[in-house]
Amino acid sequence: MHVKVNGQTIEIFAGARVRDVLRKYSRAEWTLVMKNKKKVSDAHGHEVGLDGELNGGEELVIQARAAAGPRL
Amino acid sequence: MKRLLPAGPARRLLFLALLGVFVLSSCVNLPRPPAEARVVPAPAEAHIVIFHSNDVHGKIDNFAKVAAIIKTERKSSTDVFFFSAGDNFAGDPVIDRADPPGGPMMELLDRLGLDVLCLGNHEFDYGLEILRKFPARIPTVSANIEAPPGVLPALRPWVVLKTKAGIKIVVFGLIQIEPGNGLPSTHPDRIKELRFSKPLARALEMKKLRASSQVLIGLTHLGHEQDLLLAGEMPEIDVIIGGHSHTRVNPAESVNGVLVAQAGSDNAYLGRIDLLVMNGRVVEKKGRLIDLNLVKDEDETIKAIITKIYRNPELARVIAKAPLEIGGKNALGSLMTDAIRKAHGLDIAFQNNGGIRLNRLPLDITLKDVYTLEPFGNQIVEIIMTPAEIRSLIKNSWEKKNDIDLQVSGMTYTVRADSANRIKDIKLNNPDGSPLAEDRTYKVGLSSFIASAYSFSHQDPGRSLYATTADDIILYLQSGIDLGMYRDVRRAFSEKPPEASRN
Repeated sequence: MHVKVNGQTIEIFAGARVRDVLRKYSRAEWTLVMKNKKKVSDAHGHEVGLDGELNGGEELVIQARAAAGPRL
Repeated sequence: MKRLLPAGPARRLLFLALLGVFVLSSCVNLPRPPAEARVVPAPAEAHIVIFHSNDVHGKIDNFAKVAAIIKTERKSSTDVFFFSAGDNFAGDPVIDRADPPGGPMMELLDRLGLDVLCLGNHEFDYGLEILRKFPARIPTVSANIEAPPGVLPALRPWVVLKTKAGIKIVVFGLIQIEPGNGLPSTHPDRIKELRFSKPLARALEMKKLRASSQVLIGLTHLGHEQDLLLAGEMPEIDVIIGGHSHTRVNPAESVNGVLVAQAGSDNAYLGRIDLLVMNGRVVEKKGRLIDLNLVKDEDETIKAIITKIYRNPELARVIAKAPLEIGGKNALGSLMTDAIRKAHGLDIAFQNNGGIRLNRLPLDITLKDVYTLEPFGNQIVEIIMTPAEIRSLIKNSWEKKNDIDLQVSGMTYTVRADSANRIKDIKLNNPDGSPLAEDRTYKVGLSSFIASAYSFSHQDPGRSLYATTADDIILYLQSGIDLGMYRDVRRAFSEKPPEASRN
């Protein structure tokens, strides 16, 4: 099946989860997601879990997490 | 009877104010006003609260908080419901390996007062026999599953719930199916007695339920993208509460007039929907997620049950006795790949060294040892591969550390490298020593990690077999196999000049 990550089409095995597609897309981006520096959202801006199950044709967006404000 | 709520815009404002109080009180335990000071809706009207979760996947820790929230709400509100949008099973050995599998999850959902369960694809992971043990009190819904009589007695397309004032809430269920085989994402052998139809087409037949209900809810396990399509097709639905894609929809969004909700996964959030019904229809609807990590209150009874569940004696049960301690990457990797290959009738299976997380198995092997050996829950992926593609995989694995990285079953291989660790050739042999046939393809099993993190050529994109490596190892060990065969076993070799080894 095909899933888009940041606009790039990734071919992945049927039954893949979000984490599988991210690993295939970019090892560097995957590492940043695992370190919680980046998050993964769907095409509508909703954050998705890494074990989220995917259907072909879906879109994912990896983006930086908003920096935490200064501690008061 | 005199109405207690004002009419028109003032009524809306009052509802929103009440909603704010309910939501805040469930999160931060604000002191409640005395009962006589609260505004009670007239019988023809109702403020309905629906809590919902999805894709819990065996993560039971926060259920004591969920119980506290629901209990508190039930003290102050008349009509409080709790729905599950599926996939409560699969993902934690404490639940997966209980006796019966999933038993503690069923007990907890029952004690939490679950009102409706929509079956998810992972509800089938333990087989239909286990699913039949689900508490009869909890109706399970899915309109696009057809089961022969007696196979899933509790299953129905929809269920009718009633508020104290008699308002009818109709809840219908839908489960996802894969476009390729038309089945939910689980192993086909587990669901061969059932028939599945396309969820969105089946949903359109649910339009008829609108006429007989004041509130129509789709409780789905389709994924958020499909829920949005459903909302676009069926404005007759008041609320869609979804699962499967592990999407945090916060707040719930309105699409085509339909409120669409989903509460992430792993019991990290509890969804809350507030509905105001007046004159037989929903006039206000809101949804948001409660972050359970921020909730302090816990129900002590449920907390004690969870503590007991974590003492699961099954994990310490000996499932196999070995005549020797099986240790080292070669022996453990050989055992793991033999288990994968045998479980799925594959020609060849691979396991990467990094995924072997135990140095040696003890003589008395327990379930806990297996989950320590393979703690990742990686799924097995089948890919049809040519020998050239298998070489491409081995080449990429070699280049990661300039050494053997993949253990194998169903064949042996030898990597010959030069002094700079560049591969000169890779020989692939059958277990009897003859070369692999270059003109045929092989059914190869890989972990989902190898299938996604390794770079190799393969025409066939592959498919998940919906089993984990740990599942396969447990089955293999329980089959009574002679574990003495793993003494000094080795199937992956390298030949390189001595100076290359130092690099």
